[in-house]
Amino acid sequence: MSKSKRLGMIVDQERCIGCEACSVACRIENNSKDFWIKVETQGTSVKDTPVGKFPDLTLNFLPRLCNHCENPPCVDSCPEDALQKRNDGIVILDQDLCTGCKACLDACPYNIIVFDENNHLAEKCNLCAHRVDKGLEPFCVLCCEGQALHFGDLYDPESNVTKILSKDNVFQLKPDEGTNPSIYYIRPKPKRRL
Amino acid sequence: MTENEQVKLIRTACPAHCGIDCCGILAHVKGNRIVKLEPADFPDERDRRICLRGLVSLDITYHPDRIKYPMKRIGERGEGKFERISWEEAYGIIVTNFKEISEKYGWKSIGWVLGGPGAGTTKFGAYLRLASLTQSTRVSAWGYGDAGLPCGSRVIFGHQFPYLYLFGEFWQRKYPELLMIWGTNPAESMPLQNMRKVLDAKEYGTQVIVVDPRFTVTASKADEYIGLKPGTDSALALGIMNVIFQNNLHDKEFILEHTNGAYLVRIDSGKMLRGKDVDAKKPEAYMVWHESSNFHKALSRTSVKEASLTGTYMINGIECKPVIQVLMDLASEYTPEKTAEITGVNKDLIVKLGKRIATAETVRFLTHMGFTRTYHGDISLRGLISVAAITGNVTTSVNSGHVPGILNWSPFLKAIPGKPSFHRIGILNLYEAVISSNPYPIKALWFAFINFLNQCANANKIIEEFYPKLEFIVQTELFLTPSARYADLILPVCSFLEFSDFLAQPYPYVQLQQKVIEPLYESKSDANIVAELAEHLGFGEYFKGGEEGLIDLIMASRSFEGITRETLKTQARKLPTLPEGASFPLSFGTPSGKIELYAEQLYEDGEALPVYLPPIEAPITPGENKYPLTLVNGHSRFRTHSMFANVKSLLDLNPEPIVDINPIDAETRNISNNDIVTVFNDRARTTLKARISESVQPGILDITEGWWIEQFKEGSLNHLTHDIINPVQDKVYEPNMHMNDVAVEVEKK
Repeated sequence: MSKSKRLGMIVDQERCIGCEACSVACRIENNSKDFWIKVETQGTSVKDTPVGKFPDLTLNFLPRLCNHCENPPCVDSCPEDALQKRNDGIVILDQDLCTGCKACLDACPYNIIVFDENNHLAEKCNLCAHRVDKGLEPFCVLCCEGQALHFGDLYDPESNVTKILSKDNVFQLKPDEGTNPSIYYIRPKPKRRL
Repeated sequence: MTENEQVKLIRTACPAHCGIDCCGILAHVKGNRIVKLEPADFPDERDRRICLRGLVSLDITYHPDRIKYPMKRIGERGEGKFERISWEEAYGIIVTNFKEISEKYGWKSIGWVLGGPGAGTTKFGAYLRLASLTQSTRVSAWGYGDAGLPCGSRVIFGHQFPYLYLFGEFWQRKYPELLMIWGTNPAESMPLQNMRKVLDAKEYGTQVIVVDPRFTVTASKADEYIGLKPGTDSALALGIMNVIFQNNLHDKEFILEHTNGAYLVRIDSGKMLRGKDVDAKKPEAYMVWHESSNFHKALSRTSVKEASLTGTYMINGIECKPVIQVLMDLASEYTPEKTAEITGVNKDLIVKLGKRIATAETVRFLTHMGFTRTYHGDISLRGLISVAAITGNVTTSVNSGHVPGILNWSPFLKAIPGKPSFHRIGILNLYEAVISSNPYPIKALWFAFINFLNQCANANKIIEEFYPKLEFIVQTELFLTPSARYADLILPVCSFLEFSDFLAQPYPYVQLQQKVIEPLYESKSDANIVAELAEHLGFGEYFKGGEEGLIDLIMASRSFEGITRETLKTQARKLPTLPEGASFPLSFGTPSGKIELYAEQLYEDGEALPVYLPPIEAPITPGENKYPLTLVNGHSRFRTHSMFANVKSLLDLNPEPIVDINPIDAETRNISNNDIVTVFNDRARTTLKARISESVQPGILDITEGWWIEQFKEGSLNHLTHDIINPVQDKVYEPNMHMNDVAVEVEKK
């Protein structure tokens, strides 16, 4: 089936200051208990600490959210059709159809679907489909302090995101999984040392 | 509430963040409840923004622990036992106490301790106006961390703030070739107005250097990180100047025109050589050595152009040197090797840095108050500014853009022209005033927008010696903070969404902090509390119209012509722009009217030059203090000082106080991640969780400020800090608390 759009996001690590406003904004907008966006500190399990030896250090943040994969394993895994890939590329989880079987949690190679222990249902980022359908950007994009999040149609040659993809050194998470994520990352720029 | 109920959108602005970020906020209101906040539009869409604290502001407004009505203490001070009273009873108690205390000790003994109003203006102004009318005491809160910067800036620039001179153009999005971020971590403390522009500058092509003892998020974005030891900034500045002078890279033209670098200094007295010393016509004139005539001349616009910057001259038997020569002599002691030894910065890096600063086309210095919170932090700033000045990187006139707004402060600072106004005392001087009646007794204090006990130095001293001497304590607050527990009377105030104020921020805008909903419970705005109290004290006529009247009063300035309270309800407005071709000179309010690289009035104090003086307590040299580690306190993105420390949505991400320890220090003390440790010195023991992190260098511990006392397992950050007064700062302006200049040891609990 040909899709008309492929909505996605580019996270610019050079501009990400690890503030977690995206996580907080997402939780407020979606009224979720858990955080659907998790900001990891790269290369360490201890949040907000740099890697290396003082003073030769690096500190990079990796905000992780549902990848809205081109080939989403979660969609195939769901026995209730609660997970759907929309024509615009958003992978949406419909909690009304979810029975809480957790198959999607196992299927997701990114470990990014969360289970709400209160209502026993799976939940995840829907790329703010409710806002996107009104022509708005996802709330995290609007609230990003560093303006590190770029949202748009990856199929549209004129979109802001396509233009960034054509010039920057981008990567996707776990490319070997064959999921082709719609969330791309730009690596931090090399340092111009003295 | 029904789904169809109409949502009203109201534009307001968040005043919380020390007046710099000041995000426009669009509130969604259903009925009388705010259901959502989002970043509001700005005339320039690049300025639309919000931070994670602003996002959770409703968690403050609708916090279950809010103080809902006036309360009077029924238990011991600090115990936290209060009973509900009415506002009329509260005003009655205040009037009775003020009357008794003022009859016994005079109105001067009643002080208003006004903390950080953020970008708020009239909530601060209202208190000043009442203090002025009653001729009571305004306790200035610059000294609880923010006085070091103005002390230094006043000496060298003659101005309270150095920002316009050092990086005003940066706020206009004019990005330099090189950006020195020194002593500040905007990624956490000013993420929007400053950090976002740092990221923009990098994208534009600016090379970014960060000088900071901690490897902060800001440092992680730098092209080069200079990780110096805390309190050694002026040594680094001298080391940089030495490289610049040795390579003859200083900007002579700029020095001659804008600094006192050519003025002759008498070596015998340390004072400037004056006309009267050499029988010149003008007795007070500064003197220079005129190169072409090889003779001294009184300073004039023409003589200074040919003045000598170097050399030693005998004039009427007095040995004299130009300021630059004196500065060179001092800087020459700070060889790369010696500077490296003091600061811990690699010597080759110091040389490269000095050459880069001197040869870059434009350099801007983005700075704030972090590095001024050591005992000699005021000199650290002077060192930085001296580097900027000798390389011609100080902005001396604004040639385009928006003219900075000037608020109509006079009716607040002096309510009745011709009559005396309030007395003023610094917050660090307040300790002595309360404890020892020096310089005069203070017997009653009113605390507003300040968590005094939590945020001021030496908490045990406050609890044991300070509070017991006070006869009456009032606190206006949203919550029962550690400080509010010690009040005799607590008055409930609104969150920022429940009252109006005028915000002349962020540059180049002004905004209305517009009341979105009526005050919850029985809370009132500080301005309205002051207005009602004034009525009870017989000064009601000065507060007509309550908070809105005060907004109109403070806006009555030419800066805001054409901007009204009404027009601000829908959008932020830009300040007027400079007419085409016009320029706005940034004058220097120093005695000479120039950038004073040499301040003769501080000669006796040994601080005429930006000398390096070691920290007073921080053990920079190992083994010289019985407590071998330096404690600093960074700012956290999860709090604005002690605000938001009790907000669950942020505690979910950052649940409790932690102390950052370098792996080397942790290993020698057998401390692992998440261990409970005690940080201690002679003043206190503070127990909390440890995090092993390379963000602090060996020898340094970092506890971010703002956690409430009860959030620690024992003690608190400010139980460990000291209240030692730097007499030079006391003389120049107001003494600062030196929270980044503290010696401690740490052990596993």
